[in-house]
Amino acid sequence: MRNVIAATILALPLAAGDARAHAFLDHAEPRVGSTVQTAPREVSLSFTQDLEPAFSGAEVRDASGARVDQGKAKISGSVMHLGLKALAPGTYKVNWHALSVDTHTTEGSFSFRVGP
Amino acid sequence: MSKFMLRPLALAIIVAFVPLSNALAHCVVGNRFFPAMLATDDPCVADEMSLPTVQYNSANPSGREHDVGVDFAKRFTESFGVVVSSTWTRVSPPADAGTNGPIAYGFQNLVTTAQFQLLKDAQHELALLAGVIVNWGSSGAAGVGAAPWSAITPTFYFGKGFGDLPDGAGFLRAFAVTGQVGYEVPTTSLDLVSGNPVPQNLVWGTSLQFSMPYLKSSVVDLGLPDFFNHLIPIVEAQFVAPVANNFGNDFIITGTVNPGVIWVGTYFQVGVEAIVPINHASGTSIGGIAQLHLYLDDIFPTTLGQPLFGSSAPMKSMARR
Repeated sequence: MRNVIAATILALPLAAGDARAHAFLDHAEPRVGSTVQTAPREVSLSFTQDLEPAFSGAEVRDASGARVDQGKAKISGSVMHLGLKALAPGTYKVNWHALSVDTHTTEGSFSFRVGP
Repeated sequence: MSKFMLRPLALAIIVAFVPLSNALAHCVVGNRFFPAMLATDDPCVADEMSLPTVQYNSANPSGREHDVGVDFAKRFTESFGVVVSSTWTRVSPPADAGTNGPIAYGFQNLVTTAQFQLLKDAQHELALLAGVIVNWGSSGAAGVGAAPWSAITPTFYFGKGFGDLPDGAGFLRAFAVTGQVGYEVPTTSLDLVSGNPVPQNLVWGTSLQFSMPYLKSSVVDLGLPDFFNHLIPIVEAQFVAPVANNFGNDFIITGTVNPGVIWVGTYFQVGVEAIVPINHASGTSIGGIAQLHLYLDDIFPTTLGQPLFGSSAPMKSMARR
Protein backbone atom coordinates (compact mmCIF):
# COMPACT_ATOMS: atom_id res chain seq x y z
CA MET A 1 0.00 0.00 0.00
CA ARG A 2 2.85 2.37 0.85
CA ASN A 3 4.35 1.72 -2.59
CA VAL A 4 1.04 2.51 -4.28
CA ILE A 5 0.74 5.80 -2.43
CA ALA A 6 4.31 6.78 -3.19
CA ALA A 7 3.86 5.80 -6.83
CA THR A 8 0.72 7.83 -7.22
CA ILE A 9 2.26 10.94 -5.76
CA LEU A 10 5.26 10.47 -8.05
CA ALA A 11 3.02 9.87 -11.05
CA LEU A 12 0.73 12.86 -10.80
CA PRO A 13 3.18 15.49 -12.03
CA LEU A 14 4.22 13.16 -14.88
CA ALA A 15 0.67 12.62 -16.02
CA ALA A 16 -0.60 16.10 -15.35
CA GLY A 17 1.75 17.89 -17.71
CA ASP A 18 0.86 21.57 -17.99
CA ALA A 19 -1.80 21.46 -15.31
CA ARG A 20 -3.82 24.56 -14.42
CA ALA A 21 -6.75 25.12 -12.17
CA HIS A 22 -9.69 27.25 -11.12
CA ALA A 23 -8.98 30.99 -11.04
CA PHE A 24 -9.86 32.19 -7.55
CA LEU A 25 -9.40 35.76 -6.37
CA ASP A 26 -6.08 35.96 -4.55
CA HIS A 27 -6.14 39.62 -3.59
CA ALA A 28 -7.57 42.93 -4.70
CA GLU A 29 -6.83 46.64 -4.56
CA PRO A 30 -8.67 48.23 -2.83
CA ARG A 31 -8.48 45.31 -0.43
CA VAL A 32 -11.51 43.13 0.10
CA GLY A 33 -13.64 44.62 2.88
CA SER A 34 -11.37 47.61 3.36
CA THR A 35 -12.06 51.32 3.81
CA VAL A 36 -9.95 53.73 1.76
CA GLN A 37 -9.75 57.46 2.41
CA THR A 38 -9.06 58.43 -1.19
CA ALA A 39 -11.35 57.33 -3.98
CA PRO A 40 -9.47 54.82 -6.16
CA ARG A 41 -9.23 55.39 -9.93
CA GLU A 42 -9.40 51.68 -10.66
CA VAL A 43 -9.99 48.27 -9.14
CA SER A 44 -7.22 45.72 -9.52
CA LEU A 45 -8.00 42.00 -9.12
CA SER A 46 -5.24 39.38 -8.90
CA PHE A 47 -6.23 35.76 -9.48
CA THR A 48 -4.56 32.46 -8.72
CA GLN A 49 -4.45 31.47 -12.42
CA ASP A 50 -4.15 33.17 -15.79
CA LEU A 51 -7.46 34.31 -17.30
CA GLU A 52 -9.09 34.10 -20.71
CA PRO A 53 -9.69 37.83 -21.39
CA ALA A 54 -12.64 37.29 -23.74
CA PHE A 55 -14.67 35.53 -21.07
CA SER A 56 -13.57 37.30 -17.89
CA GLY A 57 -14.72 40.63 -16.53
CA ALA A 58 -16.01 42.67 -13.62
CA GLU A 59 -18.36 45.46 -12.69
CA VAL A 60 -18.57 47.85 -9.74
CA ARG A 61 -21.85 49.16 -8.34
CA ASP A 62 -22.66 51.71 -5.67
CA ALA A 63 -25.14 51.25 -2.82
CA SER A 64 -28.06 52.12 -5.10
CA GLY A 65 -27.01 49.53 -7.67
CA ALA A 66 -25.74 52.01 -10.27
CA ARG A 67 -22.66 51.04 -12.28
CA VAL A 68 -19.63 53.17 -11.40
CA ASP A 69 -17.01 51.36 -13.49
CA GLN A 70 -16.01 52.72 -16.86
CA GLY A 71 -14.38 51.15 -19.84
CA LYS A 72 -13.65 47.51 -20.47
CA ALA A 73 -11.66 45.45 -18.03
CA LYS A 74 -8.01 45.13 -19.03
CA ILE A 75 -6.60 41.66 -18.42
CA SER A 76 -2.99 40.63 -18.50
CA GLY A 77 -2.12 37.15 -17.30
CA SER A 78 -3.76 36.69 -13.93
CA VAL A 79 -4.46 40.37 -13.22
CA MET A 80 -7.57 42.33 -14.14
CA HIS A 81 -7.82 46.14 -14.04
CA LEU A 82 -11.12 47.99 -14.22
CA GLY A 83 -11.39 51.79 -14.40
CA LEU A 84 -13.74 53.70 -12.10
CA LYS A 85 -15.69 56.94 -12.31
CA ALA A 86 -15.11 59.53 -9.62
CA LEU A 87 -16.40 57.83 -6.49
CA ALA A 88 -18.23 59.65 -3.72
CA PRO A 89 -17.93 58.42 -0.14
CA GLY A 90 -19.94 55.24 0.27
CA THR A 91 -19.90 51.46 -0.08
CA TYR A 92 -19.19 49.78 -3.40
CA LYS A 93 -19.58 46.21 -4.54
CA VAL A 94 -17.31 44.49 -7.05
CA ASN A 95 -18.76 41.55 -9.00
CA TRP A 96 -16.28 39.52 -11.06
CA HIS A 97 -16.37 36.44 -13.24
CA ALA A 98 -13.44 34.55 -14.64
CA LEU A 99 -12.61 31.81 -17.07
CA SER A 100 -9.20 30.36 -16.39
CA VAL A 101 -7.08 29.27 -19.31
CA ASP A 102 -8.01 25.63 -18.66
CA THR A 103 -11.73 26.56 -19.06
CA HIS A 104 -12.78 26.42 -15.40
CA THR A 105 -15.30 29.14 -14.53
CA THR A 106 -15.46 31.00 -11.25
CA GLU A 107 -17.24 34.08 -9.97
CA GLY A 108 -17.34 36.18 -6.85
CA SER A 109 -17.98 39.52 -5.25
CA PHE A 110 -16.74 41.73 -2.44
CA SER A 111 -17.25 45.20 -1.05
CA PHE A 112 -15.02 48.14 -0.18
CA ARG A 113 -15.79 51.53 1.28
CA VAL A 114 -14.64 55.02 0.37
CA GLY A 115 -14.51 57.67 3.07
CA PRO A 116 -14.13 57.88 6.80
CA MET B 1 18.71 2.03 -9.55
CA SER B 2 17.91 -0.20 -6.60
CA LYS B 3 15.00 -2.60 -6.60
CA PHE B 4 13.47 -0.43 -3.88
CA MET B 5 13.22 2.43 -6.39
CA LEU B 6 12.23 0.30 -9.37
CA ARG B 7 9.02 -0.95 -7.84
CA PRO B 8 7.54 2.48 -6.99
CA LEU B 9 8.72 3.81 -10.34
CA ALA B 10 7.01 0.99 -12.23
CA LEU B 11 3.84 1.59 -10.28
CA ALA B 12 4.17 5.31 -10.95
CA ILE B 13 4.25 4.73 -14.68
CA ILE B 14 1.17 2.51 -14.47
CA VAL B 15 -0.68 4.97 -12.30
CA ALA B 16 0.20 7.85 -14.59
CA PHE B 17 -1.53 6.31 -17.57
CA VAL B 18 -4.35 4.37 -15.96
CA PRO B 19 -7.35 6.44 -14.92
CA LEU B 20 -7.42 5.46 -11.26
CA SER B 21 -9.25 7.84 -9.06
CA ASN B 22 -11.54 8.11 -6.16
CA ALA B 23 -13.14 11.41 -6.02
CA LEU B 24 -15.33 13.02 -3.52
CA ALA B 25 -15.86 16.47 -4.81
CA HIS B 26 -14.33 19.71 -5.99
CA CYS B 27 -17.42 21.68 -5.22
CA VAL B 28 -17.54 25.32 -6.36
CA VAL B 29 -20.91 27.09 -6.09
CA GLY B 30 -20.68 30.81 -6.85
CA ASN B 31 -18.27 32.39 -4.39
CA ARG B 32 -18.28 29.26 -2.26
CA PHE B 33 -15.93 26.31 -2.35
CA PHE B 34 -17.07 23.31 -0.32
CA PRO B 35 -14.02 21.15 0.42
CA ALA B 36 -14.11 17.37 0.28
CA MET B 37 -14.77 16.18 3.80
CA LEU B 38 -13.38 13.25 5.74
CA ALA B 39 -16.42 11.71 7.43
CA THR B 40 -19.31 12.90 5.27
CA ASP B 41 -19.63 13.83 1.61
CA ASP B 42 -19.82 17.22 -0.02
CA PRO B 43 -22.88 18.06 -2.13
CA CYS B 44 -21.38 17.90 -5.63
CA VAL B 45 -20.42 15.44 -8.32
CA ALA B 46 -16.80 15.86 -9.31
CA ASP B 47 -13.63 14.33 -10.67
CA GLU B 48 -11.52 13.78 -7.60
CA MET B 49 -9.61 11.24 -5.60
CA SER B 50 -8.83 10.66 -1.95
CA LEU B 51 -5.58 8.78 -1.67
CA PRO B 52 -5.23 7.85 1.04
CA THR B 53 -7.65 8.30 3.89
CA VAL B 54 -6.03 6.92 7.02
CA GLN B 55 -8.10 6.32 10.12
CA TYR B 56 -7.82 4.95 13.63
CA ASN B 57 -10.96 4.32 15.63
CA SER B 58 -12.09 2.40 18.66
CA ALA B 59 -15.55 1.45 17.44
CA ASN B 60 -14.61 -2.12 16.54
CA PRO B 61 -15.62 -4.34 19.50
CA SER B 62 -12.80 -6.78 18.67
CA GLY B 63 -10.01 -4.31 19.24
CA ARG B 64 -8.19 -1.34 17.74
CA GLU B 65 -8.98 -0.69 14.10
CA HIS B 66 -6.75 0.99 11.54
CA ASP B 67 -8.13 1.75 8.08
CA VAL B 68 -6.53 2.89 4.84
CA GLY B 69 -9.08 3.98 2.27
CA VAL B 70 -9.15 5.05 -1.35
CA ASP B 71 -12.01 6.90 -3.04
CA PHE B 72 -12.28 7.66 -6.72
CA ALA B 73 -15.00 9.90 -8.12
CA LYS B 74 -15.70 10.26 -11.81
CA ARG B 75 -18.31 12.31 -13.64
CA PHE B 76 -20.10 10.51 -16.47
CA THR B 77 -21.94 13.68 -17.47
CA GLU B 78 -21.90 17.21 -16.09
CA SER B 79 -24.55 16.22 -13.52
CA PHE B 80 -24.06 12.48 -12.97
CA GLY B 81 -21.11 10.76 -11.39
CA VAL B 82 -20.02 7.63 -9.57
CA VAL B 83 -17.77 7.22 -6.54
CA VAL B 84 -15.94 3.95 -5.87
CA SER B 85 -14.59 3.42 -2.37
CA SER B 86 -12.37 0.71 -0.98
CA THR B 87 -10.96 0.39 2.53
CA TRP B 88 -8.29 -1.93 3.92
CA THR B 89 -8.66 -2.68 7.61
CA ARG B 90 -6.30 -4.04 10.23
CA VAL B 91 -7.72 -5.01 13.60
CA SER B 92 -5.33 -5.29 16.54
CA PRO B 93 -6.02 -6.55 20.05
CA PRO B 94 -7.28 -4.02 22.59
CA ALA B 95 -4.57 -1.85 24.11
CA ASP B 96 -4.84 -3.64 27.44
CA ALA B 97 -4.48 -7.12 25.90
CA GLY B 98 -0.68 -7.12 26.22
CA THR B 99 0.03 -8.09 22.60
CA ASN B 100 0.35 -6.18 19.33
CA GLY B 101 -0.18 -8.86 16.69
CA PRO B 102 -3.12 -8.36 14.31
CA ILE B 103 -6.36 -10.18 14.95
CA ALA B 104 -7.46 -9.80 11.38
CA TYR B 105 -6.85 -7.75 8.28
CA GLY B 106 -8.37 -7.41 4.83
CA PHE B 107 -10.62 -5.27 2.71
CA GLN B 108 -14.02 -4.02 3.73
CA ASN B 109 -16.86 -4.43 1.27
CA LEU B 110 -16.57 -2.37 -1.90
CA VAL B 111 -18.83 0.69 -1.81
CA THR B 112 -20.15 2.52 -4.86
CA THR B 113 -22.18 5.71 -4.90
CA ALA B 114 -24.14 6.99 -7.90
CA GLN B 115 -24.83 10.72 -7.58
CA PHE B 116 -26.95 13.21 -9.48
CA GLN B 117 -26.56 16.97 -9.10
CA LEU B 118 -30.02 18.39 -8.47
CA LEU B 119 -29.12 22.05 -8.06
CA LYS B 120 -26.25 24.52 -7.92
CA ASP B 121 -27.50 28.01 -7.04
CA ALA B 122 -24.53 30.35 -7.23
CA GLN B 123 -26.32 33.39 -5.80
CA HIS B 124 -27.37 31.57 -2.63
CA GLU B 125 -24.34 29.26 -2.48
CA LEU B 126 -26.71 26.31 -2.38
CA ALA B 127 -26.02 22.82 -3.74
CA LEU B 128 -28.35 19.81 -3.68
CA LEU B 129 -27.39 16.28 -4.59
CA ALA B 130 -29.17 12.91 -4.68
CA GLY B 131 -27.33 9.62 -4.45
CA VAL B 132 -27.62 5.88 -3.97
CA ILE B 133 -24.91 4.20 -1.91
CA VAL B 134 -24.43 0.47 -2.43
CA ASN B 135 -22.34 -1.62 -0.04
CA TRP B 136 -21.60 -4.78 -1.99
CA GLY B 137 -22.00 -7.78 0.31
CA SER B 138 -19.36 -10.52 0.42
CA SER B 139 -16.89 -8.39 -1.54
CA GLY B 140 -14.75 -7.89 1.56
CA ALA B 141 -13.22 -10.02 4.31
CA ALA B 142 -15.59 -11.33 6.96
CA GLY B 143 -12.77 -11.26 9.52
CA VAL B 144 -12.71 -7.46 9.54
CA GLY B 145 -16.48 -7.14 9.74
CA ALA B 146 -17.48 -7.02 6.07
CA ALA B 147 -21.09 -8.17 5.91
CA PRO B 148 -22.13 -11.07 3.65
CA TRP B 149 -25.21 -9.10 2.63
CA SER B 150 -25.45 -5.91 0.62
CA ALA B 151 -27.02 -2.65 1.71
CA ILE B 152 -28.61 0.07 -0.39
CA THR B 153 -28.84 3.62 0.96
CA PRO B 154 -30.72 6.30 -0.98
CA THR B 155 -29.19 9.55 0.26
CA PHE B 156 -29.88 13.27 -0.05
CA TYR B 157 -27.08 15.81 0.34
CA PHE B 158 -27.08 19.58 0.71
CA GLY B 159 -24.59 22.40 1.14
CA LYS B 160 -25.35 26.01 2.00
CA GLY B 161 -22.94 28.91 2.34
CA PHE B 162 -23.91 32.03 4.25
CA GLY B 163 -22.32 34.46 1.83
CA ASP B 164 -25.74 35.79 0.84
CA LEU B 165 -26.19 37.33 4.28
CA PRO B 166 -25.99 41.15 4.32
CA ASP B 167 -22.51 42.69 4.41
CA GLY B 168 -23.21 43.68 8.00
CA ALA B 169 -23.12 40.00 9.01
CA GLY B 170 -19.34 40.22 8.61
CA PHE B 171 -17.47 37.06 9.58
CA LEU B 172 -20.69 35.00 9.67
CA ARG B 173 -20.71 35.10 5.87
CA ALA B 174 -17.65 32.83 5.82
CA PHE B 175 -19.57 29.98 7.48
CA ALA B 176 -21.23 27.14 5.59
CA VAL B 177 -23.13 24.00 6.54
CA THR B 178 -23.48 20.70 4.75
CA GLY B 179 -25.58 17.67 5.51
CA GLN B 180 -26.71 14.32 4.28
CA VAL B 181 -29.46 11.93 5.27
CA GLY B 182 -30.03 8.41 3.97
CA TYR B 183 -32.08 5.31 4.67
CA GLU B 184 -30.05 2.08 4.65
CA VAL B 185 -31.88 -1.03 3.51
CA PRO B 186 -29.99 -4.34 3.81
CA THR B 187 -30.72 -7.11 1.34
CA THR B 188 -31.48 -9.52 4.18
CA SER B 189 -33.52 -9.18 7.33
CA LEU B 190 -31.75 -11.91 9.33
CA ASP B 191 -28.10 -12.62 10.06
CA LEU B 192 -28.04 -16.39 9.62
CA VAL B 193 -24.82 -16.76 11.59
CA SER B 194 -25.82 -14.91 14.73
CA GLY B 195 -29.56 -15.30 14.37
CA ASN B 196 -30.03 -11.57 14.96
CA PRO B 197 -32.22 -9.36 12.83
CA VAL B 198 -30.42 -6.98 10.47
CA PRO B 199 -31.95 -3.55 11.05
CA GLN B 200 -32.75 -0.86 8.56
CA ASN B 201 -30.92 2.31 9.56
CA LEU B 202 -31.37 6.02 9.31
CA VAL B 203 -27.92 7.40 8.47
CA TRP B 204 -27.22 11.09 8.66
CA GLY B 205 -24.38 13.54 9.01
CA THR B 206 -23.59 17.23 9.00
CA SER B 207 -20.72 19.69 9.01
CA LEU B 208 -20.15 23.27 10.08
CA GLN B 209 -17.19 24.92 8.40
CA PHE B 210 -15.52 28.32 8.44
CA SER B 211 -13.72 29.17 5.22
CA MET B 212 -10.64 31.34 5.56
CA PRO B 213 -10.28 31.46 1.73
CA TYR B 214 -13.83 32.80 1.56
CA LEU B 215 -13.13 35.32 4.31
CA LYS B 216 -10.15 36.69 2.41
CA SER B 217 -11.70 36.81 -1.07
CA SER B 218 -15.27 37.86 -0.24
CA VAL B 219 -15.57 39.37 3.24
CA VAL B 220 -12.40 41.01 4.48
CA ASP B 221 -8.73 40.57 3.65
CA LEU B 222 -7.03 40.66 7.05
CA GLY B 223 -3.53 40.45 5.60
CA LEU B 224 -2.81 37.17 7.35
CA PRO B 225 0.13 34.95 6.37
CA ASP B 226 -0.79 32.95 3.29
CA PHE B 227 -0.89 29.61 5.14
CA PHE B 228 -3.84 30.73 7.25
CA ASN B 229 -5.78 31.88 4.19
CA HIS B 230 -5.91 28.24 3.01
CA LEU B 231 -7.46 26.82 6.18
CA ILE B 232 -11.02 25.65 6.70
CA PRO B 233 -11.69 24.74 10.35
CA ILE B 234 -14.52 22.22 10.38
CA VAL B 235 -16.64 20.09 12.70
CA GLU B 236 -18.28 17.04 11.18
CA ALA B 237 -20.76 14.68 12.82
CA GLN B 238 -22.20 11.39 11.62
CA PHE B 239 -24.89 9.19 13.16
CA VAL B 240 -26.65 5.86 12.61
CA ALA B 241 -29.98 4.87 14.16
CA PRO B 242 -31.74 1.50 13.72
CA VAL B 243 -35.30 2.38 12.82
CA ALA B 244 -36.84 -0.87 11.55
CA ASN B 245 -36.39 -4.64 11.89
CA ASN B 246 -34.53 -4.16 15.15
CA PHE B 247 -36.55 -6.66 17.19
CA GLY B 248 -34.97 -7.66 20.46
CA ASN B 249 -32.10 -5.18 20.18
CA ASP B 250 -31.67 -1.97 22.14
CA PHE B 251 -32.41 1.24 20.27
CA ILE B 252 -29.02 2.92 20.35
CA ILE B 253 -27.91 5.82 18.19
CA THR B 254 -24.22 5.57 17.39
CA GLY B 255 -22.05 8.27 15.93
CA THR B 256 -19.02 10.47 16.18
CA VAL B 257 -18.25 14.18 16.27
CA ASN B 258 -15.11 15.09 14.35
CA PRO B 259 -13.44 18.47 14.91
CA GLY B 260 -10.56 19.22 12.59
CA VAL B 261 -9.11 21.41 9.90
CA ILE B 262 -8.63 21.20 6.13
CA TRP B 263 -5.82 22.96 4.26
CA VAL B 264 -6.91 23.76 0.70
CA GLY B 265 -4.37 24.14 -2.08
CA THR B 266 -4.66 24.59 -5.82
CA TYR B 267 -4.44 20.94 -6.81
CA PHE B 268 -4.99 19.09 -3.54
CA GLN B 269 -6.12 19.43 0.02
CA VAL B 270 -5.03 17.84 3.30
CA GLY B 271 -7.41 17.26 6.18
CA VAL B 272 -7.06 15.98 9.75
CA GLU B 273 -9.81 15.37 12.28
CA ALA B 274 -10.23 13.82 15.69
CA ILE B 275 -12.95 11.16 16.00
CA VAL B 276 -14.90 11.60 19.23
CA PRO B 277 -17.48 8.85 19.95
CA ILE B 278 -20.82 10.11 21.24
CA ASN B 279 -21.31 7.10 23.51
CA HIS B 280 -19.69 3.80 24.52
CA ALA B 281 -21.40 1.93 21.71
CA SER B 282 -19.71 4.28 19.23
CA GLY B 283 -16.20 3.74 20.55
CA THR B 284 -14.17 3.65 23.72
CA SER B 285 -11.54 6.29 22.97
CA ILE B 286 -10.80 9.22 20.69
CA GLY B 287 -9.62 8.26 17.23
CA GLY B 288 -8.21 10.19 14.33
CA ILE B 289 -8.49 10.51 10.56
CA ALA B 290 -6.26 12.14 7.95
CA GLN B 291 -6.74 12.48 4.23
CA LEU B 292 -4.89 13.61 1.11
CA HIS B 293 -7.43 14.62 -1.50
CA LEU B 294 -6.58 15.35 -5.13
CA TYR B 295 -8.55 17.63 -7.48
CA LEU B 296 -8.42 15.63 -10.69
CA ASP B 297 -10.37 18.28 -12.58
CA ASP B 298 -7.54 20.72 -11.92
CA ILE B 299 -4.65 18.28 -12.31
CA PHE B 300 -5.99 16.83 -15.56
CA PRO B 301 -8.30 19.61 -16.82
CA THR B 302 -8.64 18.36 -20.39
CA THR B 303 -8.67 14.59 -19.87
CA LEU B 304 -9.52 12.84 -16.62
CA GLY B 305 -11.00 16.03 -15.23
CA GLN B 306 -13.72 16.17 -17.87
CA PRO B 307 -17.01 14.22 -17.84
CA LEU B 308 -16.92 11.04 -19.93
CA PHE B 309 -19.84 12.27 -22.04
CA GLY B 310 -20.05 15.94 -22.94
CA SER B 311 -17.79 18.65 -21.63
CA SER B 312 -18.17 21.04 -18.76
CA ALA B 313 -19.20 23.62 -21.37
CA PRO B 314 -17.92 26.67 -19.53
CA MET B 315 -17.93 28.75 -22.69
CA LYS B 316 -21.69 28.35 -23.01
CA SER B 317 -22.34 29.46 -19.45
CA MET B 318 -19.97 32.38 -19.72
CA ALA B 319 -21.55 33.50 -22.97
CA ARG B 320 -24.84 34.08 -21.17
CA ARG B 321 -23.31 36.88 -19.14
